[in-house]
Order: sequence, then structure tokens, then C-alpha cells
Amino acid sequence: MSTPKSAKIDGRRLRSERTKQLIIEAYIALAEEMSPRVPTAAEIAERAGYSVRSIFERFPDIRALQVAAIDYSLAQIAALSAPRGADGDRMTRIVSHVRTRGETCERWLPLWRSLIVNQGDSPEIKARIRIARDRVTDRMEKMFTPEFSTLPADERRQMLIALEALTDVESWARMREFFGLSFDEACQVWTQTIARLLPKRACGTA
Amino acid sequence: MRNGVTAQDGAAPAATVKPERADGRRMRSARTRQLIIEAYLALLRESPQIPTAASIAHRSGYSVRSVFERFPDLHTLRVAATDDAMLRVSTQVASQKVVGGRAERLRTHVQTRGRVCEEWLPLWRALNANQGDSAELKNRIRLIRELVVRRLEEVYAPELSTLEERERRQTVLALEALVDFESWARLREHFALSFEEACGVWTRAIDRLLPETPPVS
Repeated sequence: MSTPKSAKIDGRRLRSERTKQLIIEAYIALAEEMSPRVPTAAEIAERAGYSVRSIFERFPDIRALQVAAIDYSLAQIAALSAPRGADGDRMTRIVSHVRTRGETCERWLPLWRSLIVNQGDSPEIKARIRIARDRVTDRMEKMFTPEFSTLPADERRQMLIALEALTDVESWARMREFFGLSFDEACQVWTQTIARLLPKRACGTA
Repeated sequence: MRNGVTAQDGAAPAATVKPERADGRRMRSARTRQLIIEAYLALLRESPQIPTAASIAHRSGYSVRSVFERFPDLHTLRVAATDDAMLRVSTQVASQKVVGGRAERLRTHVQTRGRVCEEWLPLWRALNANQGDSAELKNRIRLIRELVVRRLEEVYAPELSTLEERERRQTVLALEALVDFESWARLREHFALSFEEACGVWTRAIDRLLPETPPVS
């Protein structure tokens, strides 16, 4: 008797989780289409194929849904942008980093823009913006360890800050939208920039 | 027209008073308009929330009706506030003559740009948040970016002149990204740097991005 009961509960929980996930995905799709405007509950419900009530049963308000969507996106970005080619030579590492970062920016620009514009005073959203930026910095520290290791701590920090600013999502957007560069041209700008900024002599090189 | 002719003839005193009155009214109206714009900008600096008509009216000391008598809607007020800010920034930037050697030009440019970002970041954010489908706001965003690029090209003309066209363009784009409003905001808010420290980051990064300064012939 107890087995079918827990199986029923598990089934309900699973369905509820799936509904939650579909609502998050509907929110992300709409936020990307409407960026920087935040979609309304009615629009999200329509896109997800559920009622507005279903949304508010799972999320107390739109802000909570927004935060859940950001967490989901951050997890996806992290999975897709793990450092690759970190053991290559200087130019291989720069090119690898730039292409991955370019692809991330290309993919997440509308959602990121919506996030920045609508952060308001929300400590939850601000915390997630910080996490996203810290991840970019961490990734660069890993990719350019040989170059950074030649710098004193203070200079290294300044370099990281400048690199993070230069390879920001909006910096990418400007190249693509405002200056009309192709994906490859935009990558070339970043590659050249990083190559100029990083110290020429890396640890372990002559 | 009648008033103008009479005033020119220097005749009836009553006629002379009339344009003065009209001028006074116009001046007061312009002042009210300016105070409304300033109230809007002040509210933006205090909070990232977009100010409402009621809050703008309250801050400026006028009624909501007065606000809408001068600006048919909040969008028109936003555009007017942007124009007002652009004029002020242009004056601020133009007053800082960028001459001298590389280090001096770098220092003046970074300090001026830092001050502009410090002062106008809230408006820049509001402008981006509210642009929606507004061609007027989009044009102003474009114009502001073009002015930043032009300034970079002017200040670092000696260094940029040593590069071939493609590399020159790439360098200008990188410099533009570096001295963007949000880049400044990150230095100050995210990395909690002081004004001088933030200027230091920009100065060193620009210095590394620029090629060597050619010798003066």
C-alpha cells in the first residue's frame, strides 16, 4: 500500500517540477524576445501553457521567477564555458577564451540586458550579477595564469578588472549592434585587446 | 508685431510693459521647465527607480499639472533631460583642453571621463532602460557613444596615427569599451575602487592598449 502512495507523490512532485521548469523556460524565452522589458505573468502563462494561478503557486512573485530564471541560466553558462585549452600557448588560450566568451555573450545578451536594466534595488539580482562577473574573472585567472603569475598582486588585480570590463556583455553588444562587426571581427578586437593588455612574458618563458 | 513696432517707436509706456510681462512669463516658464528637469535628474541620482510624475512634481515644488503643461508626457521630459545633460557634459569636456605629452593627455582624459561617468551614470542607465522603441532616445544613445569615440580619436590622435586602419579601429573600439559608463560603474560599485583607483585602472589599461607615441617632428 505504501509503495503506490509514495509513487503517486513522486509523480506529483515530478510534474510540479516540470511545470516549474517550463515556466522558467517560458520566462527566459520571453525575456529574450522582449528585452529589456520584463514579461508579465499573463504573457508567461500563455507561453508556458499554464494558468497565471499556476505560476503564482510556484513563484510568490515575478521577481522570484526572475531570480530562478537567472540561476538556471547561470548554471547553463557555467556548463558551457568551462575553461578550454588552458594548457595551450598564449595565443591559443587568448583565442579560446575570446571565442567562448563571445558565444556566451551572443547567447545571453538579451537576458543579461534585461537583468541589468531591471535590477532596481533587488539584492538577489545584484548578488547574481556579481556571481556572473566573478565567474568571468575566475575564468580569466585560470586561462591566463602564466601571464598573471608574473605580475605583483596589485597590478594583477587591476589587469583583471580592466579585462573584465573590456570583455563585458555590453562591450560585445556594442561591437555587434552599434559598430556592426561580425562575430569573427568582434572576436579579433577582443583578441588584439587581450594580447596587448597581458604581459608579454609569461611565467616559465624566456 | 504690434507690440514690436510700438516698442521700436518708443511710444506708449503701457505697450513697453506688455512685452516685458510676456518676457517675464516666458522666463519664469523656462525656469520652471529647468527646475522640473533638475528634479528628474536629482531623483534618478538618488534611486535607480524611474521617477514618477508625482515624485518629480513634489521634488521640483510644482504641481503634476505644471509638469505636464511643460512636457506632454514623461518621455518628452526624459528626452529634454538627456539633451540638457548632453549640453552640460559637452561644456564640461570642452573646458578640459587635452594637450601635452602622452601622460598628461591620458591623465586629463581619464579624470574628465571619470567625472562624467560619476555624475551621469544614473541618467545613462535610465536612458538605456527607457529607450524601448523610442527613436529619439536611441539617437541620443548613439550620439553619446559617437562623442566618446570622437574624443578618444582626438585625445590619442598621435598614437592612433601610427596604426594601420584596421588596427586603429580595433584599438578605438577597445578603448571605447574600456571607458564606458558601465565599466566605470563596475570599478566603483562592483570592485569598490575609489575615484582615484578607478582612474588608475583606466590609465594603465589605456596606456597598454595604445601604441608608442611617435616622436614630434
